[in-house]
Amino acid sequence: MRLLTHNMLSCNIKGVTNGFPLRLEVEKFVEKEVDFSAEFLRNIFPKIEWKALVDASRSMGYSQLPDEADSSMLDSDDFLKKFHHALLELHLEEGVLICPETGRRFPVNKGIPNMLLHEDEV
Amino acid sequence: MNTLFRTTESPFLQYLNQPSTSDRRRRISSLPVRIGLGRSTRTGLAKTTTRMMASSSSAATETVGREVLKKGIADFYDESSGIWEDIWGDHMHHGFYNPDVQASISDHRSAQIRMIEESLSFAGVPEDSLKKPKSIVDVGCGIGGSSRYLARKYGAQCQGITLSPVQAQRAQALAAAQGLADKQVSFQVADALQQPFPDGQFDLVWSMESGEHMPDKKKFVSELARVAAPGATIIMVTWCHRDLSPSEDSLKPEEEKLLNKICDAYYLPAWCSAADYVKLLQSLSLQDIKAADWSQYVAPFWPAVIRSALTWKGLTSLLRSGWKTMKGALAMPLMIEGYQKDLIKFAIITCRKPK
Repeated sequence: MRLLTHNMLSCNIKGVTNGFPLRLEVEKFVEKEVDFSAEFLRNIFPKIEWKALVDASRSMGYSQLPDEADSSMLDSDDFLKKFHHALLELHLEEGVLICPETGRRFPVNKGIPNMLLHEDEV
Repeated sequence: MNTLFRTTESPFLQYLNQPSTSDRRRRISSLPVRIGLGRSTRTGLAKTTTRMMASSSSAATETVGREVLKKGIADFYDESSGIWEDIWGDHMHHGFYNPDVQASISDHRSAQIRMIEESLSFAGVPEDSLKKPKSIVDVGCGIGGSSRYLARKYGAQCQGITLSPVQAQRAQALAAAQGLADKQVSFQVADALQQPFPDGQFDLVWSMESGEHMPDKKKFVSELARVAAPGATIIMVTWCHRDLSPSEDSLKPEEEKLLNKICDAYYLPAWCSAADYVKLLQSLSLQDIKAADWSQYVAPFWPAVIRSALTWKGLTSLLRSGWKTMKGALAMPLMIEGYQKDLIKFAIITCRKPK
């Protein structure tokens, strides 16, 4: 699961109002090289919750993202490379995603999150 | 082709609109629990549910029934995805054919791609670089055929959800093998009735032949609408039963009987009609609602699937795959019967979320 995906996942247990972003518990992660596309990054930037990305990348050991970002920074090659690396190249293979409100744990196995809810959570 | 179905009052809608307890007892046959019973108690699904129905309230029964159905769906696809992919490739949906054509096996793959393109065209999804979809959700993504196709077509980011862990893994592996994974597509094990996304995420909400598995059509459609961004397009291509005429309260008993047999084999809950979907979309204030019956354009599909199952490769694969897959294969003539009797309809329903 790369952080682009993490940035779009939330916990929708019944009654939860604050299910995003999910905290990461990392058991195994890998870094995969991905083709760089400035256009893709510029297109996706408006949809990204920046703080969630920063926090998630820190839990994977990457602290190079600035705390805040705005679209003017998309002109900087240096910024784009860091954005690219955090968003697309850090992969959680094994671990847990944790709901910030309920503490509910969603497992991630072989890179695939399992977001199925139990009967009493819907 | 662009016909808005008459909005007839169907008994299924009563179920959708949370009726009184007595109505729910009467409509108990709509619950996924009951569908597996058919007229006998042969299946494990049936035996479990008979005990459940005897001892619990209808709400608890429904919950258990849902869990049984979800597990059944996941297991069915865990077991049969591989053999399907082996013979038919990575698109697990009907092809779109010119009417009355005898298609050869090599035509089917392009027909499946045509199904995607015709659906996008019917829904009027913009293609220019400013307005085309940038983020897409594939609800009931199978092994990711649509996800990969759409991500490539629009240069967009696509999330796929499926109940089957085996499918999610395979979808991811195929994306990686095709050089897509790391940028554009990702897959999660998740329930379409509780999509794990915040509101308003996606420019294109895609459900290709997954709606028939959803036990709560109202919740299914609500979730599609919830995760759609303002101005987004929602596309559902799904199996429905024929619309009911104004004088009808329900399908005829022999029609229900045929559908029940199909439900049992394919882990489907109660069917609804395209008109029922249209009514649901209207109740959610969605715009530009369009619906069409594409049954005539998919007619060659099931005969072709049966022919592929009867090849040496097909038969040996079936025997190796497991009982659920074999039961599914044996039910294929029932699908043809349903289409021939104008009972089963292959429907496309699309709309837009208001800006």
